[in-house]
Amino acid sequence: MAALAFTPHIHRPPTPSPSTPRIPKPIARHKTERRVSVQTSASLQTSFSDPFVLQLAEALEDSLPSSSSSSSVSLPLQNLRDNSSETLLSTPWPSRKDEPFRYTDTSFIKSSQVQPVSHPPQSLSISSDTQFPNFVIADGFAVNSVSDLSGLPNEVFVGNLLDISSESILKRVSEFVSKGSEGDLFWSINGIGAPDLTVVYVPAGCIVENPIHLRYFSIEGGEEGSSKLPISNPRVFVFVEKGGEIGIIEEFLGGDGNKSYWANAVLEVVVEEGGKVRHSYIQKQSFSAAHIKWTSVRQESNSTYELVEVSTGGRLSRHNLHITQLGPDTVTELSTFHLAVSDQTQDLHSKLVLDHPRGYSRQLHKCIVSHSLGQAVFDGNIKVNRYAQQTDAGQLTRSLLLEPRATVNVKPNLQIIADDVKCSHGAAISDLEETQLFYFRARGIDAETARKALVLSFGAEVIQQLPYPSVRKEIETHFKELLEPAIKASS
Amino acid sequence: MALNLLPYPPCTLSSPPQSYSSSSATSSVPFTRYASPSNSLLFTLTATRPLPFRTNHARRHLTPLSASLSTFDSPSTSGSHGKKKLLLEVKDLTAVIAESGKEILKGVNLSVYEGEVHAVMGKNGSGKSTFAKVLVGHPDYEVTGGSVVFKGENLLEMEAEERSLAGLFMSFQSPIEIPGVSNIDFLNMAYNARRRKLNLPELGPIEFYAYIFPKLDLVNMKTDFLNRNVNEGFSGGERKRNEILQLAVLGADLSILDEIDSGLDVDALRDVAKAVNSLLTTQNSVLMITHYQRLIEFIKPAYIHIMEDGKIVKTGDISIAKILEKGGFKAIS
Repeated sequence: MAALAFTPHIHRPPTPSPSTPRIPKPIARHKTERRVSVQTSASLQTSFSDPFVLQLAEALEDSLPSSSSSSSVSLPLQNLRDNSSETLLSTPWPSRKDEPFRYTDTSFIKSSQVQPVSHPPQSLSISSDTQFPNFVIADGFAVNSVSDLSGLPNEVFVGNLLDISSESILKRVSEFVSKGSEGDLFWSINGIGAPDLTVVYVPAGCIVENPIHLRYFSIEGGEEGSSKLPISNPRVFVFVEKGGEIGIIEEFLGGDGNKSYWANAVLEVVVEEGGKVRHSYIQKQSFSAAHIKWTSVRQESNSTYELVEVSTGGRLSRHNLHITQLGPDTVTELSTFHLAVSDQTQDLHSKLVLDHPRGYSRQLHKCIVSHSLGQAVFDGNIKVNRYAQQTDAGQLTRSLLLEPRATVNVKPNLQIIADDVKCSHGAAISDLEETQLFYFRARGIDAETARKALVLSFGAEVIQQLPYPSVRKEIETHFKELLEPAIKASS
Repeated sequence: MALNLLPYPPCTLSSPPQSYSSSSATSSVPFTRYASPSNSLLFTLTATRPLPFRTNHARRHLTPLSASLSTFDSPSTSGSHGKKKLLLEVKDLTAVIAESGKEILKGVNLSVYEGEVHAVMGKNGSGKSTFAKVLVGHPDYEVTGGSVVFKGENLLEMEAEERSLAGLFMSFQSPIEIPGVSNIDFLNMAYNARRRKLNLPELGPIEFYAYIFPKLDLVNMKTDFLNRNVNEGFSGGERKRNEILQLAVLGADLSILDEIDSGLDVDALRDVAKAVNSLLTTQNSVLMITHYQRLIEFIKPAYIHIMEDGKIVKTGDISIAKILEKGGFKAIS
């Protein structure tokens, strides 16, 4: 990998298609630039690559913060970038013809002016409304000045890869970063565009009492209705060693107003033997935003991973959740709640692969669509492979459609090869139940209040599982506010 | 136009004095329609009573119904000077299943005065439960004929929630689960709906907790009962107790208890019956629906009605139950 001198002309792929928007040059250019291996395999471009993707990749590479020498980019990050650009070359932009995107239309991103955010926000005023140790990532950049990590044990590390001083931690982290990923195009885009890697490291046997609250802010954004779509690529790696335990709260927030931007985030989690991660993921982005999120979890034997997700924001919100079992006796609990109150798409693609005996998994997915142009998508795959005997896997998806033409596409699927397993799955799509409504009315509660209580209770089943009362309360309030107009209209 | 306003006993929450206007014109000759000789007992009893109501058609639809707020807490002072008021009057009620149009009720006649306990018994499929559900406005059924007057108002014109607020309560035979709504929130919502109706300030969760806490003893339930979701994972006994708890919290002038004995063991039945008995005053009435003798042993009705094929075919006192016990429903009809 060579550090090239700055040239005013961005190397572009030949003949971008007319429909492809030009990606404006990043504004803040620096003296030197590092360029990743796009050119090295330039000969392949014409046959395998998508012009839009290449253009985006280059813009991302160009946008990365300057470094006086390539050595300041740590090796794991460099490897990540190299691997990502390599995969990107052969990955076209997804279309509706690709099974994973059959119901999810990503064309609005493609038709927008995607611009990488090349620098952290100049000023950042963030209210510290969290009682937990917290780490702020704004437009993909870690902002140490507004983060507060007091309350975490000393041996726990939360920060950028570059700031890891301990050789041994760096070595351990390097073993895992971007290994065994089966990510898609968006995973790779993040791999190229992530300015750094944020690491949460919990050493062996360390049980962290307070959760770490990762707050992702999207500050840069086009005004409502503009085609400007700044992209940010936050990337976090959580590494919990043998017997360690931690809670992770990921919260994605937009800035003021309904700005348009694209948050393309990746979270990788490795839980070693007997370790436990409680993951709360809250997505409250702008209704004009694209939010594409990867959560990739690797679980060693006897480990536990619990996820509670509440996603309410975004014009297009896609969560790819992949969990791989690396040893026996794992526990995996996934509870997700998606809400579409405007003309938005809420998509969860989850995949749980069990390769070892006695795994236990429970998945509950719920969604409410309360807008006639709103859509929810769920593809939940559970693979119980040959050696995963005595697996106990359960999956349930329930959707509530409150408006005519509101859409949901659910595809729960279990692939079972092992022959000694206990698996269940179910899917239900409905309006509110008449008998439940009547129960309220028979007690003197009017239909509108009853509807509201029932809709709230539908989401509450997931929200109530958030392990932290303060977070739970906040999201309950947010949920109520979002539903207020929807309930009135539909009653 | 003369109005006969009957003062209603004051309730503990200092509601405005409640009143209701007279019932329909037919109340001046109230029981001429009871042609069936089997109704003779009821006929004799009621006919000898001086009639407290006068005709007032105009008032009938205009009078806003007063909400009933936990009248069970009321001191049992009688507002009617020893004369019982007609609470519910059902005449020739016919009803069909809304979906299929199948006729279930084929002309039910029944009058309940305040302070009375009635039991409706009958075979499976005789229409008992349908009768209960029709009275509270269940959407599965459609009324095709007849009239129901409750506290002087046309019950059939009211929405389900209005019927409840007017003081009619039905305990469900199989109460449904409401996941995600805690019992205490549900009760608080229902209670506040009544407070609103009476123009009283609503109670916040803490005030409400203080109000509801003593009532838990009544149904022999622990505090954590309140924090569980409505009927979710409740045993059969817990569901029935929960219905009675709702009755205790909300109060009612007429409680329709639809098979509160089904699925209960003897101890649970005793608890539930004890709770119901403790809620009885001289003002409020109970209409219980049951298959079995054993409930009647715990809550003693003054009148037993036998229902068959959508009609009340026989009315009598508790001795009817004894005949039933021996010879089954065949012995009656």
